[in-house]
Order: sequence, then structure tokens, then C-alpha cells
Amino acid sequence: MDIGQILVNGLVLGALYACLAVGFSLVWGVLNVINMLHGSFIVLGGYLTFFAWHSFGIHPLVSLPFVALLLFGIGYLVQYLFVNKVVTAPVLTTLTLTFGLDMILYNIMTVFFSATPRRVTLDLGTLSFFGITMPVDRLFGMALALALTGLLYYVMRKSRIGRAIVAVRMDRAAATLMGIRVNHIYAITFGVGALMAGAAGAIFAMVFPITTNLTGMYIGKAFVVCVIGGLGSVPGALVGGLALGLIESISGHFFGPQHSLTVGFLVMLFILLVKPTGLVGKRGYE
Amino acid sequence: MDKPLLEITGLASGYGDVQVLWSIDLDVKDGEIACIVGSNGAGKTTLLRTISGLVQQSRGQILFDGQDITGVGPNKVLQSGIAHVPEGRRLFKGLTVRDNLLLGAYLRHDRVEIQQDLDYIFDLFPILKERATQDATTLSGGEQQMCAIGRGIMSRPKLLMIDELSLGLAPALVDRLADALVEINRRGQTILLVEQDVMAAFELASRAFVIETGRIATSGTTAALSDDPKIQQAYLGI
Repeated sequence: MDIGQILVNGLVLGALYACLAVGFSLVWGVLNVINMLHGSFIVLGGYLTFFAWHSFGIHPLVSLPFVALLLFGIGYLVQYLFVNKVVTAPVLTTLTLTFGLDMILYNIMTVFFSATPRRVTLDLGTLSFFGITMPVDRLFGMALALALTGLLYYVMRKSRIGRAIVAVRMDRAAATLMGIRVNHIYAITFGVGALMAGAAGAIFAMVFPITTNLTGMYIGKAFVVCVIGGLGSVPGALVGGLALGLIESISGHFFGPQHSLTVGFLVMLFILLVKPTGLVGKRGYE
Repeated sequence: MDKPLLEITGLASGYGDVQVLWSIDLDVKDGEIACIVGSNGAGKTTLLRTISGLVQQSRGQILFDGQDITGVGPNKVLQSGIAHVPEGRRLFKGLTVRDNLLLGAYLRHDRVEIQQDLDYIFDLFPILKERATQDATTLSGGEQQMCAIGRGIMSRPKLLMIDELSLGLAPALVDRLADALVEINRRGQTILLVEQDVMAAFELASRAFVIETGRIATSGTTAALSDDPKIQQAYLGI
């Protein structure tokens, strides 16, 4: 396999990783909450997209906005009703809380949907260019992932809510003086994290088979992406995602796919040692 | 001018078991610059924080513009028309000067007028316009104070409360900021200033409240207080 194919594979995978991790990164960065529900949110988004397509023939592109909005609502309520009560507690408390909620969601999904891997098959064919072959659904997924990540970046930078999220992250008391209701912004942030997870799940369901057993793997990927790229920013997730995609693709080629995960974690450890803020992270933002 | 804009009676508050304010009576009249002076730890900042709702009051009443705003919380206090420029500026890192100013208008939805007010701030402090796209925390101390005051004005408050205008700033800069406050006041803005530098505060304000260990020790016009031997000795170093 030539190097062009390896790089394109890596970039496609990387774009999906960026989209998968960006919500996790945002919640971690702004709320200082390691959201153990993130993997299950992704699978839930994937399942909802699959069943909308499989049972009702709804195209994933049509169902995606609704799935994403539903996940936003779930995320908002989880933060507002549960996590907000302990959000100022040490990070282990919120981690335990979201871990417990994750167990519940995970098992509900397994009971209702069973753990059978499922995917949406769009049959868009493959595209060949410069000797590189790529299924069109993956390219489509990549474009969608990048578009959504870009949209989040724009919203964070240019909107009133985006400003409020950054303000709350930087200085809660001063944000309160601006009239910002901190608990509301926290819930919105968590909701946006869930929204991006749901959207990522919808995209994943178009590209890879999805099952509840994958929730742990998704969290692992999100974690590595955040550490490599830098926590709590959209560019950080994008750079980290693309880097991890390339690392896995390249190392999978040279050492075999069974070792690509290991190499990803090794690179993460290396980055932690030499640049703990991540590739594009800034000091004070972690 | 008869009925005060802000009227505080018997206010007490503190942090947990530590009571800081014991019984504060204070009023601010519409259109004036009033100041609260006193030494370090007297309770000046706590008083502002209690007015803006960051600290819960334990006793007493705060009337503002005819409404009882006691204990309604920071969001409602700001909505009723009190903006609080906090001690140490507290600008938001990672956001531009412009974004910091816009956060002052967070509760407003009148886009056109927000833009007008932004232009007004840039007119008042031209340096902020030059630095509009710069991270606000990279500004110099004086520029940060301008930005913090601008952020306060962006909510279109009826009362602007400023905590420690001069803290850590060179005298020339304090003069520059004082001129700006006079200009803002001339356009109708009521201001309540908290200041450790009594001399600077008395030059700006028409009335002053002297606070000592959580109680108002004395109050009056700054002209009268400047002639008071006790004040001269304790605060003005004359």
C-alpha cells in the first residue's frame, strides 16, 4: 500500500476522531468534568441514526440534526439535574457520577438494542484518485465531521453563548457579574458535548459498525485526542484527532493494525512528558 | 434628586461564620459620584459584593430605583441596573477586548444599540479600539481598568460601582481614568466608587462614606470631610 493511501486513510479516520473528541474536550476543559458518558452518547447517537434508517428509512443526513438535538437535551438535563450538584467537587466525584450514569445508560442500551454491531449502509460506491481508493461514505463522513467541528469552532468564537462559555471557564465570579447564569451555561456546555457525541455517533454509524461494546474504546480515543492536541479547544481536538488518525494509520501499516492502538497511547505518553499542554494547547487553558 | 437611587439600611453580611459588615446605612443619589473609603479590610469590597449579590446579606435591606433588590441574586441585580466593576479588573483571559466588552452586554438583546455603546466606549478610550482584537489580559494595567469600566458600562447600568479604581496604577493613569469617569458622569451616569486612595476619591466624588470595621464611621460631602481634622489625620495624611 502506498504512502498516499496511508495518509488519506489517516486523515479520514482523524477527522472522525476530531469530531468524536471535541465534545469530550469541551466538557473537560470548561467544566473540569471527565465525562464518562461520552462513549455511550456516541453509541446512542449511532443507534438512533441506525434505527431511524433501518426501521423508518430516514436518511442519516436527515436524522442527524434531530439526533444531535435530542442528545443536547439529554446532556443539558444530565448536567442540570445531576452533575451541577457536584460540579465544584474534586474531579473524582464528577468522574464517579458520570461513570455511574454511564453504567445505567450502557445497560439500558444493551437491553433495548442488544450488542449486535450495526451500521447504516449507504452504498455510495468507491472513489479512486491518484491510485488511492476510498469508499465514498467515508469521505462523506469525513466532510461531515469536519463541517460540524468547524461549526462548533465558529459558534464558540463568534456567538454570545460561546463567549459566555469561555467567560465561565476563565472566571466564574466575574462571569456571574456579567449576569451569566453559571449553572445554565454549564448545562449548555455539557449539552453541546453530548450533541457533538451524538453527531459523531451518527457519522460513525455510516462508516463503521456500531455496538455498545465500543463505548470504552470511544472514550479512550477521545482521551488520547485531548492529550495529544490540547484540552478544551476546538483546534486542539482537530489537531489531536488528525494526529491520532495518522499515527494509527501509519503504525497500523508498519507494525500491523493490532498494534496501532498501543502506538497511539505511547505517543500520548510521550506528549505528556515533553508538552503536557498538548500540541496546540496553551498554558493556563488546560 | 430627593429620592436616592440606591438606599441601603442596616445591611449586614460576611463569609460563613466571619461577619464583615455589621450595620451599613448608605445612599447614592441619582447623577452623583459617591465614594466609599476606608482602610484595608474595613469591608469596602464586601459591601459592593453584597450589593451585587455575590455575597448573601444576613440582615438589612437594599432598595434600588424603588425596588427591593435584597437577596435577589447577581443576575437580577444587574438586570435592575447595577453594574459592578470588580477589584483587580477580572477581565476574561482568552477573549479579545471586544469580546470582553460584549460580555458586559450579555443580558441585552438590542444589537444595534449594543454596537452604539461599543462605539461610545471606543470613543471614550480610543486605545481600546486599537487593541480591540487583542487578548484583554495582555493589556497594561491602566488599559485593563479602562476595559473593565467599559465592560461595566456595556450593560447600560443606572449605577456603576467601581472597586479600587487606582489599585496598582501609576498616578498619571489614575488621573486619566478619573477624567473619563467625570466625563461619563457628566453624561448622566451615577457612580459609586470604592477607593483606598482617599485623596483621589475625594477629588472625584461629591459625597463620601467612611467605613471602619464593617460600619459606616462617618459620611458627608467630600468638601466637609476634607476639612474634618479626624479624617485629615487618619486618611489624608495632613
